[in-house]
Amino acid sequence: MSIGFWEVLALLVLVGTGLAVVRLQNAVHAALALIANFLVVAGVYVALEARFVAMIQIIVYAGAIVVLFLFVIMLLSAANANVGQDLLPRLPWVAALGALGLAGVLIYAVTRFQPPANAPALGGGLPQALGPLLYDPEKWLYALLVVGFLLLVATVAAVVLIEPERIIAATSHPAHPRQDQKPSPSTGQQKDERAVVKP
Amino acid sequence: MNQTRQKHLRGGLALGAPLLAGLALAAEATPAASSSATDPLWMVGIKAFLVIFGLLTAFAYMTLIERRLLARIQVRQGPNRVGPGGLLQPLADAIKSIFKEDLVVARADKVVFVLAPMISVTFAVLTFGLIPFGPKDAFFGYDPWVIDLDVGILYVFAVSEIAIYGIFLAGWASNSKYSLLGSLRSSASLISYELALGISLLAPVLLVGSLNLREIVEWQHQNGWLILYMLPAFAIFLLTSMAEAARTPFDLPEAEQELVGGYNTEYSSIKWALFQMAEYIHLITASALIPTLFLGGWRMPGFMEQIPLIGGLFALPYLWMFVKIALFLFFFIWVRGTLFRLRYDQLMVFSWGRLFPLALAWFLISAMVVAFKWPVAVLGWLSLLSLVVFLVYAILTARPKPRPLPRMGAGD
Repeated sequence: MSIGFWEVLALLVLVGTGLAVVRLQNAVHAALALIANFLVVAGVYVALEARFVAMIQIIVYAGAIVVLFLFVIMLLSAANANVGQDLLPRLPWVAALGALGLAGVLIYAVTRFQPPANAPALGGGLPQALGPLLYDPEKWLYALLVVGFLLLVATVAAVVLIEPERIIAATSHPAHPRQDQKPSPSTGQQKDERAVVKP
Repeated sequence: MNQTRQKHLRGGLALGAPLLAGLALAAEATPAASSSATDPLWMVGIKAFLVIFGLLTAFAYMTLIERRLLARIQVRQGPNRVGPGGLLQPLADAIKSIFKEDLVVARADKVVFVLAPMISVTFAVLTFGLIPFGPKDAFFGYDPWVIDLDVGILYVFAVSEIAIYGIFLAGWASNSKYSLLGSLRSSASLISYELALGISLLAPVLLVGSLNLREIVEWQHQNGWLILYMLPAFAIFLLTSMAEAARTPFDLPEAEQELVGGYNTEYSSIKWALFQMAEYIHLITASALIPTLFLGGWRMPGFMEQIPLIGGLFALPYLWMFVKIALFLFFFIWVRGTLFRLRYDQLMVFSWGRLFPLALAWFLISAMVVAFKWPVAVLGWLSLLSLVVFLVYAILTARPKPRPLPRMGAGD
């Protein structure tokens, strides 16, 4: 693969948007720069013959996850980052030094890397080529199942995190009150409590 | 003041450049590996320009046709003063909105405020180029589509997901609580319906075995229209794409009578027009995608092409696609003229509680049929069964007609 004009441009834009994500003071602007970054990353994926991953990158990351970030930023009016007192004003310089050191180590490692001679055919990175690998019990099927379980755990965790009181009230039976709860005098009041807890 | 301005400029540059670079990189890489030979790049550019120009004209005349049809539904005349039959009305509207004062709200976030309508329109336009309007070389020796991606349907999803940002940045950038609430409301509903839309398309993709729109049309020419096998998926796709284009039962984003309009309350002049444009282009794209995916695309059924004298008429490119698009546009306007609007909680319950599980169930059924290599006709019978079940349910739950009022004749 030759390094041409578009590759250099994409690299520059990737680095530029990455810096913008870190440096922009307005959180919404930073999130927008992140989306721009994802779009270019998707373009790079296409150029590297990973087209399915490129589309998923846009759909899931830019289309779903950053949307959630933006929802949170907008609902909490947290766009402006310059609030409160900066307790460690010199920290950014130290962090920048650390980042430069990490970059140096990684660049050294990458330049020493030898690509394998017989790379497998990619088939354009289409889902038709990925499916058999993903659902093959000898390849990635179990990893896929674990990821599915992880998603289930994440969903339940998110629900519980939002309203722990409501979950406890809904899961404890009036006849068998939980140990950590004050036993209520009558079932009628228990019902009332539930009604109050429910928004 | 100057410093904030510089910051805005930097933000704008950071956002504008990557789009171009990413798209260019993708465009450079794609044709090489595409399954069919492609046109030269300048021709792709010309066709892209034609599609955008055509969509803008179509949008302008869609507004006229919609107003006249709605008027016809309500037994009155639509706009018929400007030009013959009101044909110059869109032009007059365009001139008006261009020369109106273009306000930028004082407390707004300037960059994002300007950027949001651009995002809306750009990503609304980007989908249409994928839709095939005829066989290879039908466009004066070139292909009748702009790009032919082998991840076509995923690209459609990706673009429509990004288009949501336009709405939702507009609400935030206006720096008004009501606009923000309106935009969060509409983007949340769009995202919810996007999910059911995606799942409903899995089943036809599974059956055809390709994500490429051209190959889906070809498969339908060989095996019969997908609506015959995929009626539930078709129904869900129709409903969700209506919601995606924010059309009537689901048009909370632009509910004039509701809590202060929505995300575009603070916009005026051409920026407001851009949002309208994006919405109508979504509508046109949806009414082109539905026939492409489920109703045989630009082709009519094969047996019609066998009819002796007029059979050739049914194999014409372009014509039938335009007819089908017009049919669905008419359907959407008809629905707008006759149905009421859903409340927001009903909207969400309908999407998450009804459409999404239904789409998932149908996907599992058709996955079973494909995996066990049962004949495709099984899906056809199941579709018919679902139609019968739906009709029986609709008839059983239909409310009795209200009794007509007693006639107040002259003698009473």
